[in-house]
Amino acid sequence: MTWRGGNNVNLTRRQLLRIGAGVGVATAGGVLLTACGDDAQGTAGQASSGAPRKGGVLRVGALGKASAITRDPHGVQNNESDFLILSLVYDALTVPGVTSNVAPRLAATWEPSADVKRWRFTIAEGATFHDGTPVTADDVVWSLQRLRNTPAGKTRLPGVEADAIQADGTNAVTLTSTYANSELPLLARLTTFTLKKDTADVAGSPGTGPFKLESFQDGNARLVRNDAWYGGDVLLDAVEVRMFESPQAMANALLAGQIDLASNVGAVAARVAESRSDVQIVKRPNDMAMPIVMRVADGPFADVRVREALRLAVDREAMVKQVLSGYGTVANDVLGTADPAYDKALPQRTRDLERAKRLLTEAGFDRAKTYQLYTTEDIPGLAESATLFATQMRDVDVKIEVVKQESSAFWDGTWLKSPLYTTYWGTNDSLVFFASKTMASDAAQNEAAWKDPAFDAAYQSAVATADQTVRTGRLKELQKIEYERSGYLLWGMADGVDLAAAKVRDLPKLGGYGRVQLERTWLSA
Amino acid sequence: MAVGLTRRRSAYLAGLLARRAALLVVLLTLVFAAVDLLPGDAARSTLDRGATADALAARRAQLGLDDPLPVRFARWIGGLATGDFGVSARGEPVSAILGGHLPNTVLLAGLAFLVTMLGALALGGLSALHPGRPLDRAVSSASTVVVAIPEFVVASLLVLVFALWTGLLPAVTVTSTSGRPASASMLVLPVLALALPQIGWNTRIVRAALTDELRAPHVEAAVLDGLSPWRVLTRHVLPGALPTIAAGAATSVGMLLGGTVVVETIFNYPGVGTVLAGAVLDRDTAVVAGTTAVTGAAICAVLLSADLVRAWATGRRA
Repeated sequence: MTWRGGNNVNLTRRQLLRIGAGVGVATAGGVLLTACGDDAQGTAGQASSGAPRKGGVLRVGALGKASAITRDPHGVQNNESDFLILSLVYDALTVPGVTSNVAPRLAATWEPSADVKRWRFTIAEGATFHDGTPVTADDVVWSLQRLRNTPAGKTRLPGVEADAIQADGTNAVTLTSTYANSELPLLARLTTFTLKKDTADVAGSPGTGPFKLESFQDGNARLVRNDAWYGGDVLLDAVEVRMFESPQAMANALLAGQIDLASNVGAVAARVAESRSDVQIVKRPNDMAMPIVMRVADGPFADVRVREALRLAVDREAMVKQVLSGYGTVANDVLGTADPAYDKALPQRTRDLERAKRLLTEAGFDRAKTYQLYTTEDIPGLAESATLFATQMRDVDVKIEVVKQESSAFWDGTWLKSPLYTTYWGTNDSLVFFASKTMASDAAQNEAAWKDPAFDAAYQSAVATADQTVRTGRLKELQKIEYERSGYLLWGMADGVDLAAAKVRDLPKLGGYGRVQLERTWLSA
Repeated sequence: MAVGLTRRRSAYLAGLLARRAALLVVLLTLVFAAVDLLPGDAARSTLDRGATADALAARRAQLGLDDPLPVRFARWIGGLATGDFGVSARGEPVSAILGGHLPNTVLLAGLAFLVTMLGALALGGLSALHPGRPLDRAVSSASTVVVAIPEFVVASLLVLVFALWTGLLPAVTVTSTSGRPASASMLVLPVLALALPQIGWNTRIVRAALTDELRAPHVEAAVLDGLSPWRVLTRHVLPGALPTIAAGAATSVGMLLGGTVVVETIFNYPGVGTVLAGAVLDRDTAVVAGTTAVTGAAICAVLLSADLVRAWATGRRA
């Protein structure tokens, strides 16, 4: 799924980050809860806290802007609060999982045709809308076609035309792709919300999800448990979603006990909360990638040795510590770090200034020149990552000047064009997502203008097979090429950071949009 | 004679109205142009990142962004005349967005104004009546300090002390299902954050105006006539000081409404300030212009009332 990363919540998060930068780097204290328990729901929480308990109201804070409220499940949701509400009321065909990056939701099972072009999704047994009517294949077809016909539909369901979405009996639908695509179930995650066929007014229309919408007002909503949910027992009586314009206000609300969960509040708020023993800090790893893009097609970084040199010159540990306030992990220049097929065996690149200098000399890199690194303040830490990177490059005598651009100017004029810039991506549990979107030669968003026939071949054979063993082998090959030659320098991965009251249990621990999966969350007595 | 005076007065009033209306039009033009000058537009912020150039162009056409600026401005201001504020970049009527949030801001700014004037009159009055005494000096230094502190610092300190440390008051505003703040206690901190700097500013004005007036010959005469201090204050001092105080108060209304952008964001208060902050980021011209139009009109109306008070006070004296 394409994700605009959160171009929406920037002003205040950015301000917050500046405030946080003044705090400096200290050692992390307090209660830090990393992912524990590896159950299928992908949840975190205080370990061994007894059996899940039914009841209670969870008050959740999520970021959003009053002027950007979108209630259309198939619209462009810039507000995290809107997306959270929609994800609790409506069900997508599939959702992110822990052991696999695709887990069943409204679709219980799916299987491809032999040529991996046609996928058949079977609707979960007992799935009903909140008004009691059963979900039929017609409802799913109508909803998917509606999604496909939105302006964003083409990128959300690539290769699948509206008329290639068809009912197959009463409880199954088929999607036919114009090319062999083993990733279709993955692409069907999260926005393939199903509404009743011919719903005229989509805002507040009945969904099939774990919670029913009771009220909605200016971005805030109250949702109550759907006792008839086909997906299993929902424990919370209700979820109250509160929209926050700024993460700082959201953190204050949590610290003052006005909300129980501050969703995606960020590392700076977490640092503030570290001294509070009554607050859980939930880290969701691999939430955000902020790679540096080095243009391959032409320009100063076209020589693979130059790109290799910069990858060796960056101090990854320092980047994670300073840019992400320690809330992140070191990465190895391959995107899709949370994919189960991510190759941990590739040697971790570490700082090697001597080799970097040697490579630059061999490549005849002009070290007298100053190179511009373009960046934005779209998400917390992005501009800071550029500044620290530029400082580190002085150690290999490469002069980099950071140019901070306004968001729209960046996306219109710099992105996909400039030789050196920062980018960011919020979907990080799929290697193929990045290969198809940003690295295959003909990818529409080929950020580094990288064309590599061997990579293309590995990618195409990986998506053309449903055989897991073959696929894993191809993906390994793909990652090796990406590691050696792509235009990306991925120094680390930012954690998603939530704050929660002590009583909240089994919170989602997946990165990215996985944070909205609150159906298994419960409150201890 | 009386007829001539009335005519002169109505001509003066008409002139005032015309000037304030012209000011509003200039303001709206500037705001509309300013949002346009910012890089980027609403089409980009309402599409997915992967949107193609074609999709972007289609969206621009749909939002009417490909028309020249004067055409868009004329269309918008033409609609305004009929009460049509246009639609946001996401297709929501701007009047609906403002309708939900404006009453909250009016409530917040109105309470802050009330607190400001009560505080300023009380403190300024006390200071003026006891010039040079410790109380006067304390009020004077305190008012200088609070004037110098920006709203966001005041707001952050209030949250820290009253919500996070002592837990006496809520840290943020939670909206009830009616769209209004869920409890009155949630208004206390935002009102204080807005009012404190303005109390400082107005206290100084009130004190200066009263001090000047206390030295006036007619006041001295009234005191010598043996009138009670209360009578001297209400009948002889305040009327003379009123135009100055009204001008200060009118300025404060503008500052209060401006301050809501910051204060509402810090307290997550559901007013037009938060709407404006978000809309500027999204380059949502219709929402920005609509918000400015409404608050601009309110400020113009307040300035007009201050002018009227001055006219009335001057006329009374003449």
